[in-house]
Formats: sequence, C-alpha cells, structure tokens
Amino acid sequence: MFIFIVRRVLQTIPVLIGVSLVVFLIMQMVPGDPAVLLAGESATEEQVNQLRSQLGLDQPLYIQYFDYIKNVIQGDLGTSIRSNRPVLDEILVRLPVTIELAFWSIVVTVVLGLLAGVISATKQRSLTDVSIMVAALIGVSLPNFWLGLMLILYFSVQFQIFPVSGWGTFAHIVLPALTLGTSGAAIVARMTRSSMLEVIRQDYIRTAKAKGVKQRYIVYKHALKNALVPVITVVGLQFGALLGGTVLTESVFAINGLGRMIVDAIRMRDLPLVQGSILVVSALFVLVNLIVDISYKFVDKKVDLN
Amino acid sequence: MKKIAMLMAISFLAILMMTGCTSEPQTGGSSDSEGAEGSGNGSAAGDELIIAVLSDATQLDPHTGTDIPSANVYHGKIYEGLVKQDENMEIQPALATEWEPIDDVTWEFTLREGVKFHDGTPFNAEAVKKNFERILSEEIASPRATLFEMIEEVKVVDDYTVQIKTAYPFAPLLANLAHYAGGIVSPTAAEKYGKELGQHPVGTGKFKFEEWTPGSQITLSTYDEYWGETPSYETVVYKVVPEDATRIAMVETGEAHLAEPVPVTEIERIENSDSMSLNRSQGLGTDYLGFNVQKEPFNNKKVRQAINYAVDTEQIIEGVYNNVGTVADSPMGPGVWGYNENVEGYEYNIEKAKELLKEAGYEDGFKTSIWTNDNQARVDVAEVVQSQLKGIGIEAEINVMEWGAYLEATANGEHDMFILGWSNMTGDADYNQYFLFHSEAQGTPGNRTFYENEKVDELIDAGRQETDPEKRLEIYAEAQKIEVEDAPAIFLRYDENLVAVNNNVEGFWMHPAGIYMIDDITINE
Repeated sequence: MFIFIVRRVLQTIPVLIGVSLVVFLIMQMVPGDPAVLLAGESATEEQVNQLRSQLGLDQPLYIQYFDYIKNVIQGDLGTSIRSNRPVLDEILVRLPVTIELAFWSIVVTVVLGLLAGVISATKQRSLTDVSIMVAALIGVSLPNFWLGLMLILYFSVQFQIFPVSGWGTFAHIVLPALTLGTSGAAIVARMTRSSMLEVIRQDYIRTAKAKGVKQRYIVYKHALKNALVPVITVVGLQFGALLGGTVLTESVFAINGLGRMIVDAIRMRDLPLVQGSILVVSALFVLVNLIVDISYKFVDKKVDLN
Repeated sequence: MKKIAMLMAISFLAILMMTGCTSEPQTGGSSDSEGAEGSGNGSAAGDELIIAVLSDATQLDPHTGTDIPSANVYHGKIYEGLVKQDENMEIQPALATEWEPIDDVTWEFTLREGVKFHDGTPFNAEAVKKNFERILSEEIASPRATLFEMIEEVKVVDDYTVQIKTAYPFAPLLANLAHYAGGIVSPTAAEKYGKELGQHPVGTGKFKFEEWTPGSQITLSTYDEYWGETPSYETVVYKVVPEDATRIAMVETGEAHLAEPVPVTEIERIENSDSMSLNRSQGLGTDYLGFNVQKEPFNNKKVRQAINYAVDTEQIIEGVYNNVGTVADSPMGPGVWGYNENVEGYEYNIEKAKELLKEAGYEDGFKTSIWTNDNQARVDVAEVVQSQLKGIGIEAEINVMEWGAYLEATANGEHDMFILGWSNMTGDADYNQYFLFHSEAQGTPGNRTFYENEKVDELIDAGRQETDPEKRLEIYAEAQKIEVEDAPAIFLRYDENLVAVNNNVEGFWMHPAGIYMIDDITINE
C-alpha cells in the first residue's frame, strides 16, 4: 500500500506540469490584456506599455513560462497582478472556507443520499420508494442558485432562522451546505438504491436471511457495505468537484471561496492567480482520487491496489 | 465499517485543523479590531455601519486606483485630497484651507495645520510634494498620471504653503485634485511599502484601515485624532456580496445598512418593503451606443444621424432601465460641469431616418453588428436597438463578449456599433470631452468611436487652458454641439445611482461620482 501511495503521488507531478502548461497556453490565447484591464479607463498607450513591462508580460512566452515553473518549484506561486498580494496568501484565505463548505455539503450528500437510497431499496416498489425517487429526480434537476435563493427567501428573510450570508458560525453553513448537498444526495440515493437492489438478490443475502440474521443487520452489514463501491466513486467525484469551488452558490451566499476567486481572476486575466489556484485545485483533486482509491480497499478486500 | 468511520474521522480532523490555522484575516493597523465576521443573524449594532457591496476592492493605494469599489473604501474615508467636491460638485477645502492662482500656470495652496497621518507622520508641504512626485514616478506607473501629467513642479514655500506649477495653463486642475487619485498618502508609509501601499493604506482621513479578508470584507475604524468631526459610529465594514438578491435581502433583514448597486429590477421590492428604502440620485455617467466612424458605412455622418433618429431612447429607458436615469441629449449630463442644456438631441423620427439613409445611398439598409459585453442591461439595449433598426432596413447582429475581450476588441477598432458607458470621476467637462472625443485619446484611453475632428480637438485643448469659467463653458457648449451634430454615438442615458438603505440609517447621501458619503450617518437601533 505504501508503494502504491508513493507511486501515485509521483504520478501527480506530470499531471500538474500538464495542467500548468494548458492553463498558461489557454490564458495566452484568450483575448484581453491584463495590463489594459489593470490600467483601467483613460490610461494612455505609454502607461499600458510601462505596466506590461513591469509585469514581465513583454517577455517571450517560453521565458514567462519557465520563469513561472522555476518559481513554483521553489514554492513561490507568484504575485497576483490585480491585488499585488502573493498568490499563495490569496489561496490560503479561501481554501479553508472551500474545504469546509465541501465537507459539510458531502455530509449532507452522504447522510441524506444513503438513508434515502437504503429505504428505497428495502421498500422497493412501495409508495415510499416512488416518492423518494421522485424527490431525487427533482433534487437533481433543481438549479443550485435557485435553490439557494429560495432557501434564503424562506429561512432567512421570512422566518429569520439562518443568516442571509457570510461565514464563520455553523448557522452560516447550513443553507449553503443544503444547497450544494441536495443534488449530490439525489444522485447518491439513486446510486445506492440500484446497487443495493443488485446485492440484495445475491445468494449470500438469502443465506443470511435463512440463518435468521436480523433484517437490519443484513441491510447494513451485508448488503450496504458491498453496495458502497460505486457510491464511493460518486462521492469522491462530487467532493473533488466541490473543492474546485462552486461559483454560483458562493455568490448567492457571499462565501469567500476558491470558485469565485478563480472566475474573477480569469475575468481580470490575472494569470499568476489563475495558474496558482488551478494548480492547487488540481493537486487536491488528485489527492481526493487517491483517498477514494485507498478507501475501496477498506470496503472491499478483493480490490487489489497494485 | 469501523475502518471507514476511522478514515472519515481522520479526514474530518484534518479539515478542522486546516481551517483552524489558516483562516486568520490579513491584519493591518492596530490589532484590536472589531471584525464583524461571524456576527450571526442579529441586527447590526449602532456603532457599526455595514455596507454590502458587489465587488471587493482591488487595492487601497489612491495613486494606482482605477476602480470605484476600491475608491469607495478609501476616497474621503482613509484618504483626503487637498480639496474635495460637495454634492453640487463645487470645490470645498479639505487638506488645503485656501488656494489662489498666482499666475496662469501657478496655484498656491495654504495647507491645514496640525494634521497627522494615521501613522503619526505630520502632514505638511513636504508630504504634498512627495505625493505628486510619487504619482508621476515611473516606478509607480500610475494609471492616473494623466490627471496630473501637466504638473511641472510642486514647490514648498514654507511648511504649510505649496505652489503647484503646470506646464501650461490647466483649468480643470482643482477638479482633478479632488479626484480620488489626488488622495494624499503618508510619505512614511509610501516609502516603507512602495507598490504594496495598497495593502497597508495610511492617510489622514476620518477612518483608518483595520483589516481586510480579501474577497470577503474590509473593516475601517474611526480615527480619533482626526482634525475635524468624527462620525457617530465606531467602525465601517464593507462586505462583498456578489449576488444582487442576497445583498438586498441583507438590508431587508438588517444584516447590512446599505447595499449597492441595486439592479433596476429590484426597485419595486425595495420600495414596497417596510424595513428599507431606495436612495436615488443623479450620477455623472453617460451610457452610449457608439459607431466605429472609421468603418463603412459609419464613416458617413448621415448614416449615423439616421440611426440616431431611428432609435427611441425613451423606450429603452422605460423598458430596459425601468425609468432609472434620464434621456441623454449630449455626451455629458447635468451633473457634469460644462453641461450644455441648449444642445438638442435627436428625436425619434423614422421618416427622417429613412430619408437620411436614402441620401447616404443606403436606401435598402445594410448588415452590421452591435457589440456589447455580457452585462444584462446592455444586452437588452442591444436587442431593443436591433429590433428598432429593422424598421429602417438595417440588419444588426448582436455580438456579446466577455469584458476583457470586449475592451481589447473595441480598443483595437474591430467593432461596428458598440455599447459602453463613460463615468466621470472629476465631474469636469474635460474628463468627458478629452477621453471620449479627442483624436489623441483614440482606443484604450476612451475614444473607441475613433472620432476625429480638428475643430473639436482645438476646442478641447482650448478648454483645458482657459481659466475664465464663463469662456470655458462657451467652449464646451460649442464642442458638444458639434459632437451631437457629428453623431459618433447615440447618447442614450444619463445614469442614476441607486442604493438600498435600511430604515434605521439616517444621514446617508451618495456623491454624484458614485462614492458613498457616510460621514453624517447615524444608526438608530
């Protein structure tokens, strides 16, 4: 297992180099000049050129790129063009917020999703099953930003239970986590249901039943555990996506997360900030995938990591 | 199962730890800040003013400032200039108490005595001199240097007297000094932080910088040693809330006192609320639909005039802008010094439009495109114009672009017709006329219609140098007349500032340039 982890970590290096190169090239191809955007209205050509050379944007592309990589290896992600602050600082202000939000959203996803899925599967074709599956269909289809605004309208403005926006206390987390977790929960519920149904028909479940094992024990110990592998995959992917930031939800609840920062940075052609944050997000994504792969082993001993 | 639980517990702990160590906000100034983070759902306290804004500031150095969200945090709050403008855009004393022209190119300023910067540095003539040297230095590369490039020398006469000498007579100097870029920064801080002053702002204003969580909020506190009166509350917090509906919900529930900007679609909601009201005031900006006059068929004046007749601006203001703002007749509105009320715009007259098109040789119309950035109101305007132009046989395609790409394309002259606005921070005609119409300002600086008229160039140059206000007014009146006649653009609308204000706030007003004036606010609990 140790060798497996080391090998996977080493594999991330070419991935990250690839990511940085692709981001760099795309940002070069997109029209829009950071110096012009920074100089603002009424700047003269001369001032724009001066800014451009200060930012090093007048250097040939390959020099800009290699300078960048050289600095990254030394742990320096550069300075944001727009705010003049170190890119790492900008990311570190937002990363914990994003991770916390992603974590609680996943909690909503897993708890709601698994519960609904298991109930649905054990009561297949009942009214409960149908209602849960209809609810799941609606959950998947609701646009995030709309759900967020509706939650604010009812729980913040009308009943004043939770704050409208902001971050810091648990009350701030509830609505955004519900907003983000809902669609995931719906997917997980459907996933759990179908893979549970498959497992429930297996011989060993019948054997367990025949032995007289309690229904609840059969469901959670024998069936659910074996039905979890595809669910873990989905949860892992969801978590990875959430770490990349969730622009719309962050905007609705005024949460200072990575997603909004990256979108703003792209808008201002803040190359160092875009590069740096995408590198960090990619690294996190790879890390989450690694954790997902390892967790297969815990769930299903038959999985061979090597 | 146990192992999974264990794994989850470990990742949970790891997350908690990461959150714990890195979420410290960036702190500057004194450390006993009263940040409002996590202040929960309770109504805002009477000693803290909370403003919900669309965008975070980029940096707080006035000399390199280019955007209003940043200026709103520092202009008149952290920093003051030598002079300032009141609600009528009249020049009033700030750090200078008196001023007079000594000759055509020299102004003498008497400075306020006993003023100290937030870091204790005394304010004096030397500080003023260093500030202007900083703005004009290559090292700072200020995008605002254009406002002060005519300054040849700042001469220290004595501790509290300075003379500003310009290379040529420059009438709008006082207005430019009142611009946010004319904010006086502490020379000690400027030396210490250099280009990073934007993260460590130190001025002489009523408020001093406390802390900044980038992308989230900025906190300022009142400066006890301020030379004048200090506000009735202790701190002001700017909270970044990108979603319009959320921002307004915050004012509605009392989580914020002010919210800005307000989309025109939310006006009814605010006006019908029991807990908030709408503050409307005249702005200094003009929205326009420009033509690329270097390109066919817009190089023909008659075509431009025809389109002016064919577009019903009143309908646009009513339909798209929900009656916010007023119909524009000339490039600058009544709030701008130099506005000519005698200029007549184009009425809505399809027959005249058709006639002019025929004279220009485009009887059957032509195909063209309207460019805009991805701003909903502008896209709506483009659609209205598109349908109105159909009436005279012009087929216009709409090209919606992302902001950065749009700025670049229009600066390069790739466009046909385009929709933009021009704000006016100084409130002086020159800021409008020079950048929008002077041939030297073509492209990036502002003249994106690529308009060129020798007579207009001459008038704008003369307006800059004329010191007699009456004569200056005449010069700008003539220039505006020619510009409307030449029609490089359809002047659509003089804008209006909208702010949602919670009912427990008294004494708020909005400066025409879009700056929140919060000095006289009292918060009733």
